[in-house]
Amino acid sequence: MVDGLVNGLVNGWTGKRLRVDLSSGKTSVEEIDEEYRKKWLGGRGFNSELLYREVGPDVEPLGPDNRLIFGVGPLTGTFAPSSGRTTVTARSPLGGGFGDSNMGGHWGPELKFAGYDQLVVQGKAPKPVYLWIDDDRVEIRDAMPIWGRNVPEADAMIKDELGSEEIHIALIGPAGEHIVRYACIMNDVYRAAARSGMGAVMGSKNLKAVAVRGTNPVDIARPQEFYRISAEIRDRLRQDLMAQMLNDQGTWLLTMPANYEQGWFCWHNFQKGYHPDAKKLSGEAHRDNFLSHREGCFACSISCGRFSKIKEGKYKGEITGGPEYETLTAIGPRIGLLDMDKVVHNNKLVNELGLDSCSCGGAIAWAMECWQRGLLTAEETGGLVLDWGDQELITKLIEMIAKREGFGDLLAEGSYRAAEILGRGHDYSISVKGHDMSQDDPRGLGFAFGIGFATGRRGGDHLQGLPCLELTGPFYPGLVEKILGTKEAEDRLSPVKKPEMERYQEDLKAVGDSLTQCTFTHSWSFAVQPEDMALLLSAATGLEFTAEDLMRIGARIVHLERAYWNRLLVGRLEDRSPKRFVEEPMPDGPNKGTVFPESVLIPRYYEVRGWDKETGFPSAEILKDLGLEKIAAELEPYRADYRKKVEKASNTA
Amino acid sequence: MIEVVIITSIKTLMVDPTRCTGCRTCEMACSLYHEGKCSPVLSRMRIIKYEALGKSYPSVCAQCSKPKCSSACPSGAIKPGETTGILTVDDSLCTGCRTCLVACSQIGFHPQKKVAFKCDLCGGEPQCARFCTSGAITFSGVDEFLMARRRAVANKALQAVQV
Repeated sequence: MVDGLVNGLVNGWTGKRLRVDLSSGKTSVEEIDEEYRKKWLGGRGFNSELLYREVGPDVEPLGPDNRLIFGVGPLTGTFAPSSGRTTVTARSPLGGGFGDSNMGGHWGPELKFAGYDQLVVQGKAPKPVYLWIDDDRVEIRDAMPIWGRNVPEADAMIKDELGSEEIHIALIGPAGEHIVRYACIMNDVYRAAARSGMGAVMGSKNLKAVAVRGTNPVDIARPQEFYRISAEIRDRLRQDLMAQMLNDQGTWLLTMPANYEQGWFCWHNFQKGYHPDAKKLSGEAHRDNFLSHREGCFACSISCGRFSKIKEGKYKGEITGGPEYETLTAIGPRIGLLDMDKVVHNNKLVNELGLDSCSCGGAIAWAMECWQRGLLTAEETGGLVLDWGDQELITKLIEMIAKREGFGDLLAEGSYRAAEILGRGHDYSISVKGHDMSQDDPRGLGFAFGIGFATGRRGGDHLQGLPCLELTGPFYPGLVEKILGTKEAEDRLSPVKKPEMERYQEDLKAVGDSLTQCTFTHSWSFAVQPEDMALLLSAATGLEFTAEDLMRIGARIVHLERAYWNRLLVGRLEDRSPKRFVEEPMPDGPNKGTVFPESVLIPRYYEVRGWDKETGFPSAEILKDLGLEKIAAELEPYRADYRKKVEKASNTA
Repeated sequence: MIEVVIITSIKTLMVDPTRCTGCRTCEMACSLYHEGKCSPVLSRMRIIKYEALGKSYPSVCAQCSKPKCSSACPSGAIKPGETTGILTVDDSLCTGCRTCLVACSQIGFHPQKKVAFKCDLCGGEPQCARFCTSGAITFSGVDEFLMARRRAVANKALQAVQV
């Protein structure tokens, strides 16, 4: 192997931010200097910092001043394993506060090859447009002919118009155009930045798509060393049981343990955690009867992605990317379906219309439970009868939501807002901070997960920390004990060291999302450890990082995101699990009787984090210690205001 | 590490597109190994992707026995190695005329050096095959590859008979 030709001054990163103002039509390129890169790493770190700085509490999520930020990191578009992820960030129209979503596929690396670490879109185009980024040439183009088209159609039309198949496109479907609050952004047709309504923000800007083609290399400071480390980790991942299982069955592999062993299979909007027929949706059943192809995101040998083909029945012949576990449960058992062909078809529908499957399933499940309990009338639903598992109704509802037609208009607001508008059914919106839960129930999945659900940066979601130490950790002998000092924390439903576990995993995930490297390499599979990430980053950039440095940066990012919420006067009072997880003991299955001990674990989590128990705000000392002096000072008046809010709440109670 | 002289007519890159996940790890391995940089454009082999269909196709140099690239080259820059048979481009002879690019789709053109480049089988241990976990790209004897596929068909047929 030859060492690099003349490497650029910046290695790993490109050191460039592309900014596009759709109101004025102006584009500009900004430098991202070394100090900033070292402080925020890239991807999620870059995005969260920019959001905090530029999108204050007075900016409306769906207004022109909100920023839609796409970020990649120093490892994106390199040989580092599973390094092709992209973070999309904006103030969320669903939860109203911090919003971000992470997507796989090949779009992010292409942005890097075009020469950018970050793309910031601001303003609002007077009419539908799409962006065409061809290395350093950036065009804002007319999107009228593709407006209204679904995701695969629009993808094909743009490639046709630009005259090339070698383009990667991130785009919205009809749901984003109709500003469904949980519309997603799709890339490479079937990879989604699904959660927290990033597609709605894109739609609010009249931006249909961002097409990218890049031909520049990513410079590596020490290529031979980088190659050797990447190769070592790749060999390790190849031997890793968890990675092998993900490759074999995809995230579908969760169905069997989730239902039969661990009891957190989301049935009928979390009313139960177990169903005797869950095996109809097992990973083996999908692999043997529906799998047409395994799909890999950029530079990923795990390839957990699925491509499905329906071979018989009403939907015979249909092909679609996915689904993965959260999707198959959201538009499956959460709304009363256990038939694989229906689930795969619904997955195709939500993907092509550009909806987040979790929130879409959450909204439909909310309506169905309200119907079950007599809280909704046929008059309110426009004559629809909302029975669980009625596939004809479900497909109709999905279409109605995406286009905001009839009763779909209410559900397009998300379950939390829908309950607010209706004035009923709040308890059946299984959401946190207005953001629907993914299909994960802490009453079975685990208590570290539960802490993440209640305190998460974008609301209810498993990807706050993805604390797999309590799920797959036990497959790695000695790992949990090494990190947390006790083997007891391996027990999913033990409270021991769970706040510490969640903290560790949140910080680690923030690092992974910033480098960028897929979470499944370092949490689920634990083949990649923070030390490996530091080695990769050091060799790629030529700057020296230790595992401790990285974890500190991770903590810094988590705290900045926390401060974003705090500045909106959201803190302890809003760190609330859905009532069901805390007050309703699991009615059946392996964990019968379990509730999530929120009142014990959340205060302990604050303590571990160094956050104020009364407000849930990070202490000024912690913020200063993480190099966030300015934010510590800025947060003080908000802290005082929030104290008043807490007092008022306790007086009312 | 196998320390044998590779004769390409016996052992070469074989591709099974039905197994390709489209992850493009191979492109990154190739580019970093040869150029010290990460860039699909600098990779000697490429993945053709059909995102809407979920299909991908590894496009690699076949190390032909009657190579069009070599016969097209007016400066004699592309020749099989004497002991290995591996077709490589001699940078010092290449004039950058790009005739070889017209003759065969497996030749690349270096954006900085302005000369043709192509797969050199990494001197006997192709990195694309080394890091392909799906088995879409393998470095094997032609007969070995064909027999593996025939055996897979045979396994299915036997299973069907035994049921």
